[in-house]
Amino acid sequence: MLLNYIKIAWKVLLRHPFYTFITLFGISLTLTVLMVLTSFLDHLFGSHYPEVNRDRSLYIQIMIRSDSSRNSRQTSPMSFRFLTEHVRPLKTPERATIFSFFNASNAYVGTRKIKLNTSYTDAEFWRVNQFTFLEGKPYNEQTISSGERVAVITEDFKEQYFPNAEESAVGKDIDVENTRYRVIGVVTGSPITRLFTHADVYFPYTAPKSNYQRESMNGQYNAIVLAKHKSDLPAIQAEFQERIRRLPVPGVDGDFKYANINVKSETYVNNFLSIILDGGPGLKAALIGVISFILFMLIGLPAINLVNVNISRILERASEIGIRKAFGAPVRTLLWQFIIENIFITFIGGAIALVLSFGIIQLINQSGWIAHADLTINLSVFLISVLVCLLFGFLSGVLPALRMSKLNIADALKA
Amino acid sequence: MIRHLFKLIWNKKKAHTLLIIEIWASFLVLFGLSSLIVFNVSNYNQPLGFTYENVWAIDLRNNQDTVAVTAKMQTIMQRIRSYAEVESASRMSSNYPFSASTMNNNATHDKATAMAYLFVADGDFAKTLQMPLTAGRWYTPADSIGKFRPVVINQLAKDELFGNEDPLGKVITSGDGQYKVMGVVETFKSKGEFQGDKPTIFEQLNENAPWDKTVLIRVKPGTDAVFEAKLVKDITSMAPEWGAEVTYLTDSRQNQHNLALVPVTIFLIICGFLLINVALGLFGILNVSIARRRGEIGLRRALGATESSISWHFVGEMWVLATFAVVLGLILAGQFPLMNVFDLDTGVYLKAILISVVVVYAIVTLCAVYPSRQAATVQPAVALHEE
Repeated sequence: MLLNYIKIAWKVLLRHPFYTFITLFGISLTLTVLMVLTSFLDHLFGSHYPEVNRDRSLYIQIMIRSDSSRNSRQTSPMSFRFLTEHVRPLKTPERATIFSFFNASNAYVGTRKIKLNTSYTDAEFWRVNQFTFLEGKPYNEQTISSGERVAVITEDFKEQYFPNAEESAVGKDIDVENTRYRVIGVVTGSPITRLFTHADVYFPYTAPKSNYQRESMNGQYNAIVLAKHKSDLPAIQAEFQERIRRLPVPGVDGDFKYANINVKSETYVNNFLSIILDGGPGLKAALIGVISFILFMLIGLPAINLVNVNISRILERASEIGIRKAFGAPVRTLLWQFIIENIFITFIGGAIALVLSFGIIQLINQSGWIAHADLTINLSVFLISVLVCLLFGFLSGVLPALRMSKLNIADALKA
Repeated sequence: MIRHLFKLIWNKKKAHTLLIIEIWASFLVLFGLSSLIVFNVSNYNQPLGFTYENVWAIDLRNNQDTVAVTAKMQTIMQRIRSYAEVESASRMSSNYPFSASTMNNNATHDKATAMAYLFVADGDFAKTLQMPLTAGRWYTPADSIGKFRPVVINQLAKDELFGNEDPLGKVITSGDGQYKVMGVVETFKSKGEFQGDKPTIFEQLNENAPWDKTVLIRVKPGTDAVFEAKLVKDITSMAPEWGAEVTYLTDSRQNQHNLALVPVTIFLIICGFLLINVALGLFGILNVSIARRRGEIGLRRALGATESSISWHFVGEMWVLATFAVVLGLILAGQFPLMNVFDLDTGVYLKAILISVVVVYAIVTLCAVYPSRQAATVQPAVALHEE
C-alpha cells in the first residue's frame, strides 16, 4: 500500500518538472537553513572538542554583588583566590579547574606582528578539557608550583611563530610582552565560539601578569566543575550554593560595600542564557518574540507557499480522487495517502537539503570565518532535521489533503 | 473597473485567504529586511567625525603593580611622545574608538537631559584623531584649573541639551560632576560607520589619576611592526609588571563592521531565497488558476475584450490581492514607528515600508505578467469549444 502511494507520488512529481522544481526548491531551502542552524547551535552548545565533558560540567563565570539599596550592582568574573577558596573544597565533583578568560596580546617576530589570545590556567584545566597534544605535554601541579615559565601553544600559533613548521616546537622559547616562556606542549586549537577554552597560548596561573595573587573577590577567573556523573549536577549546585550562602554579608571588598552576593554554577546553556538575558524579563520576552517570529517566517512562509501550490493543483488529480471515492475509499484513507505523498516529497527535499547543508557547513569550516570551526552534521542534528522534515511535510500536506478528500464525487469525475 | 476587481476577489475570498497570507508574510519579511538595510545605510551616510588610519591604541594594564602607577604612566607618556615615529599621542579611557567597551552617563542642562557616551581624554585627543571642531576649541591642560572641568560635546549632544542655544561656556551636569562646554565637534561614531551618531561628551582626563591608561598614537605612515615591537619592549621594561597590547584602529574598525554586517548579510541571503521561493510559488499558482479560467477568458474575448485588457485584468486582480495583504501588513508594520520599537528613527521605518510596498508590487506584477499574457492569447473559439 505504502509503496503504491510512493509510486503515485513519484509519477506526479515527474509529470510537471516545473512544479516539482518549485516544491523541491522550497522544501530543500527551508530544511537547509534549519539544518545549518541546528548544526551551528550544536556547535555552540553541544559537547565538542576540547570541552567534551560539557554535558556533565557546571560553569561558574559571573559574580553579582549589589549594595543594600540595590542601586549599585557589580557583575564580574572572580579572583583566583576566591575561586580557590570556594570551588576547590567542593566534595561532590570529580574535579574542578580555575582559569582566566582569554585576553588579547601580541607577539613580534622580526618585522611581523602576531595577534594572539592568552589564558592563564591551572593544571586541572588539561584534565577537565580533553585537548589533543600534537607535541609535548601539559604543565602539571609541580611545574606550576616551581614557577617555571612554560607555555602550551596551539598548532596555528606554532606555524605563525616558528618559521620551520616541521621541527618540534617543544623546548623552544616564545616571547610574549617581553617575557620569555618555554614551549612544553602543542595542542589543536579550540574555536573562538568556545569562550572558556579558546586561546592561542596557555600559561600556568603563576606566570607573570596573571593577577592570581589578587586579594579582592572580583577578578578575571572562571571555573568549570566536572561531575562524576550527569545526575550529580544538582547535588553539586546545592553544595556550591550552600557555600555561597554562608559568605558573610554585608561586607566590604576594596571600596565596594555589598549586601548581596550571588554566584551561580550553571550548565553551559543556562550559563549562556543567563548572561544574555541579564537585561531582565522584558529583554527575554523580546528575544523570544524575535526568535519565534523568525522561525515562523522561516518555516511558515515556505509551508504556506507549498500549501498554496498544492491546493491550486488539486483539480489535476480530481479524476483519480473521483474514481477512488466512487469505489468506496473513505476520506481517512485518501487523507493519509496525500499526507504520505507529501512526507515522501519532503524527504526527497530533505535529502537534497542534507547534501546542500553538508556543502555549506564545509564552506563555513574552511572559510576561516570562525577559526577552528568544526560544524558537523551529527546524529542529533540529523534526527532533528528528520523530525522537522516530518513536521513540515505534515503541515504542508494536511490542508490540501482535506480539500481533496472533500471533493464531491460527481464533480470530481466530471472534471 | 477597480470596484469590479475587488468584487471578484471578495467573492472568492476563501480561496484567496492563503494567497493573501503568503503575500502578507512576504511583506513583513521584506519590511524587516529593508528596515535593517535602510538603518545601516543611513548610518553609513553620516560622517565618521575622525580619521583612524595610522592610529594605534595601546592598552596598558598595571596588573598587581600598585606602586607609583601615576608617575610610571606619566613617564611612559613622555617616552611615547619622544619617538620620531609618533606624530601625536593622547591618553584616554579604555573605550577607544571601535573598541568593544562603552561608557555612558546621563547629562543634564536646565531641564534637558541626554544619555551621552562618555570619553575621558587628554588635550591631544582631537589632534591625534584629526577631529575638526565646528565651534569653540578643544580643552588644554590650562583649562583644568577652573571651577568646572572642561568638556567638548558633539553636535547631537548639543542639540539635545541646548537646542538652539549657544553651548560654549555653559555648564552641564553629569553624574556627580559639573562641566563647562569648551567646544563642539560635528559627529563621533565611535563604533564605526554602521552605528549611528550618539550624543557624546569628551571629558578632560585627570593625569594624576591611576586609571584610564589607554594611549592612542598617530604614527607616521609606513611605520611597521618593528617599531611596534620596540614600543612594547620599551614600555614593559619601564614597568616590568605591566601589560601592553597594541591594536590598530583599522583592525578594530573591521571587527565592528563584521559585527554589523554579518547578521545583515545572513539575513539578506535567507530573505532573498525566501522571496525567490515565494515568487516561484506565486507564479505556479497563477499559472494553474489562470489556465483553469479559460472558459471565462474565451467568453470575454468573444464579447470583444482586447488581449491587453485581458492581461491587465489578471495583473489587476493580483494587485488587488496584494493590496489586501499590504494593508494588513501595514497595520502591523505601522506599529513600529508609532510605538517607537527598537528606538529607531521614524524615517527609517517609513522608508522601509515604502521600499517593501514597492518590492511586493514588483514581485506580484512580475509573477502575474507571464501567465496573463498566456491567458490573453487564448482563442475564443477553442476556449468556448472546451466548455
